[in-house]
Amino acid sequence: MADNPVPSSLKRERKFYLSNTLILFIVLIVMVLLFSFTSKSFHSVYNLVSMLSNLSFIGIVAAVLTIVMIAGEIDFSIGGNIGLTSCVAAFLLDRGINGWLVILICLIMGLAIGVFNGFLVTNVGVNSIIATIGTMSIWRGLAFTLTDGKSILAINPVIDYLGRGTVFKIPFPVILFAIVFGVCYLVMDHSKWGRKVYATGVNPMAAYLSGINVKKVKFVSFIFCGMAAALGGLILTSLTAVGMPQHGMGLELTIISAIVLGGTALGGGKGKILGTLVGILILSVLYNGLTMLNVYYYYVQIAQGAVLVAVVSTYEIRQKKRY
Amino acid sequence: MAKNDGLILKMENITKTFPGVVALDNVSIDLRKGEVLGILGENGAGKSTLIKILAGNYIKDSGSTYIDGVKKEFKSPAEAMASGIRVIYQELNTLDNLTVAENIFVGEQITTTPFKIINWKEINSKAKELLQHLGANLDPNIIMEDLTISDKQVVEITKAISKKATILVMDEPTAALSEGETQSLFKLIRRLKESGVSVIYISHRLKEIFEITDRVTVLRDGKKIATVDTLRTDNDELITMMVGRNIKDMYPKRELPIGEVIMEVNNLVAEGVKDVSFNLKKGEILGIFGLLGSGRTHLVRTLFGVNSVKKGEIKVNGKKITIRHPKQAKDNNIGLVPLDRKADGLALFLGVKENITLANIEDLGNGFLIKKQVEREKARNWISNLNIKTPGIDTVVSSVSGGNQQKVVLARWLESGSKIIILNEPTRGIDVGTKIEIYRIMRDLCEDGSSIIMVSSELPEVLSIADRILVMSKGRITSEFSRKEANEEELLQSACI
Repeated sequence: MADNPVPSSLKRERKFYLSNTLILFIVLIVMVLLFSFTSKSFHSVYNLVSMLSNLSFIGIVAAVLTIVMIAGEIDFSIGGNIGLTSCVAAFLLDRGINGWLVILICLIMGLAIGVFNGFLVTNVGVNSIIATIGTMSIWRGLAFTLTDGKSILAINPVIDYLGRGTVFKIPFPVILFAIVFGVCYLVMDHSKWGRKVYATGVNPMAAYLSGINVKKVKFVSFIFCGMAAALGGLILTSLTAVGMPQHGMGLELTIISAIVLGGTALGGGKGKILGTLVGILILSVLYNGLTMLNVYYYYVQIAQGAVLVAVVSTYEIRQKKRY
Repeated sequence: MAKNDGLILKMENITKTFPGVVALDNVSIDLRKGEVLGILGENGAGKSTLIKILAGNYIKDSGSTYIDGVKKEFKSPAEAMASGIRVIYQELNTLDNLTVAENIFVGEQITTTPFKIINWKEINSKAKELLQHLGANLDPNIIMEDLTISDKQVVEITKAISKKATILVMDEPTAALSEGETQSLFKLIRRLKESGVSVIYISHRLKEIFEITDRVTVLRDGKKIATVDTLRTDNDELITMMVGRNIKDMYPKRELPIGEVIMEVNNLVAEGVKDVSFNLKKGEILGIFGLLGSGRTHLVRTLFGVNSVKKGEIKVNGKKITIRHPKQAKDNNIGLVPLDRKADGLALFLGVKENITLANIEDLGNGFLIKKQVEREKARNWISNLNIKTPGIDTVVSSVSGGNQQKVVLARWLESGSKIIILNEPTRGIDVGTKIEIYRIMRDLCEDGSSIIMVSSELPEVLSIADRILVMSKGRITSEFSRKEANEEELLQSACI
């Protein structure tokens, strides 16, 4: 006899999960088809390339942020990180620093940002929402301070390649995205450390009592996220050829929306990297498609918000919460 | 169609199933006006489920409920309360940061017009009146947090009465009460009877059933066995109905060789642990008995690295070890099946196989990837070894029954190679059948050379399973008994020092 058993809707969790991603894929395909038929420019090669490059740098950050969220935390500072990285990169390039060195320095800075976030959350114990909203402003502020609010041109063969190079006609950022996504998928779905992340997110106490170093798991995921955001910042700098303190503003909301759309719960423990991929694709295709149809920009914003609310509502309604 | 048969409550043919488990199978009970009906049953018999259906928390699969002859369907706790049903849960549902009076009148502020300002004076005086009416002398202005559990219970009862409860359900009310407090509670219940309130009293303690109930309904494994007049029955009859088999068969016999000392604890001082020293021998089951607050769980936490050692030492196999994190305990082959398996023991959204391998993820493959095949084999191995009933190895562990969940946690430590296993209340909330299985598993483990520390507050269990029993009280070990020497009275006496 089960004591305090759980309602049957929860047993279906696993099955429900798979069919969810399937539904999302269907939504995605329908959208792509719709836009292809209604807008000639949507399926032009130029458009697809530009859309893919854009969503790649977002996707890299989203894939790694998914790991942080599965661990039960969140990182709102990714946008500020992107802005700061972009400014530091442009600043250094402007002073003639070698492109490769700039990449290295920015990635190390991303690591440092991750360490700081991780330290605040796991060592000091600040709630990650508060901590990263705070650091978000710090990184953003540092970016503005560094460039005095101005933008700096960032032109350099190495950096240019990062965002605008191609490998056999495939944009380099897409390759990077595929690699990062592939690694994240492998790690979360098939590796020992990934299992520890899920355990940490589902029940940190049970994970702790099973000998898992929960603090370390979270700390490391913040570090990866900091570095991913820095990489994203570098790609964006390359795509726009400029370092701006405004880069990445508001991006954290879009990314988190895409992750939640893909089925990762805010509480942690539930979520799949594959889901994030579909979430990113849906939001990007929606944005791009509507833009191609010359839909008024603000309507596009409404549409993105509406899709998020609609999809997440279906998840919640299926859970049948009683209170 | 209203039936008029003098019953304030009638629940007919109630059935409730959860995935994998039939919690209630055609159970019928009835309650006469002004009586105290006991509901007796082992853990897992279905008592809680029945009450939650009555209270509107769960929705039954089939059956009918009649309140005073009128058929009712409760879809929420609010609807049940509107019909006069109030439940005092074992864990209590008090708003600890508010005062006594605020708790009693929550949801019903007495206001003065024209500004609708809350009239605290009136609330406090009305609260005092109600409390005194029930024989309690509490100050309505005290914050609930500062009260003892016994007093909190009185406040809950007062709240129920103030809201005109006609059916009061008390779920294991004496679990955390002393003997004196229990008697006060019984006095209160008798007073309530006199004023026309009907009481359902849920317990698994026979002594109390005989003291306070008029009739008693026995549940076992989700079925109603019988309803009898309390005066016309006796201990043996009730136990047989509750357990369904000869109680002597419950506890497997042990005549096993006990080896040398495998763990030594010397003058341990930590949070909640004042000065504890004891030994654990290889192949032995060491019982630790104590009442609420005696420090048993604190001791367990210290042994497992959750709380830090302030003074003293722990030695395993003769060597002093430092345990500052559960990982270190695990590395020393110590395992822990915690007190609250749902909150601390299980990753509820993960599957049975993930939970089994949780403490030994390193062995799931050679490199940094998990070999799914290896994991599946390990899971299947333990599922068959411990007879864990689950639809599949990937089944989400929250949908498996409590007893099987407990086995999953145990399997985790066996998988991780633990030789010293600490079990904190291992059979709490588990049905009789699985309890017996767990006892057998414990015995088999000891035969294979493991050693077990079992913390338990269930006297029959401790007296029958443990080779040696330590009694704890207020953070210290007050006495030690071998199985032959131990008896109920002395254990309880030691626990109350």
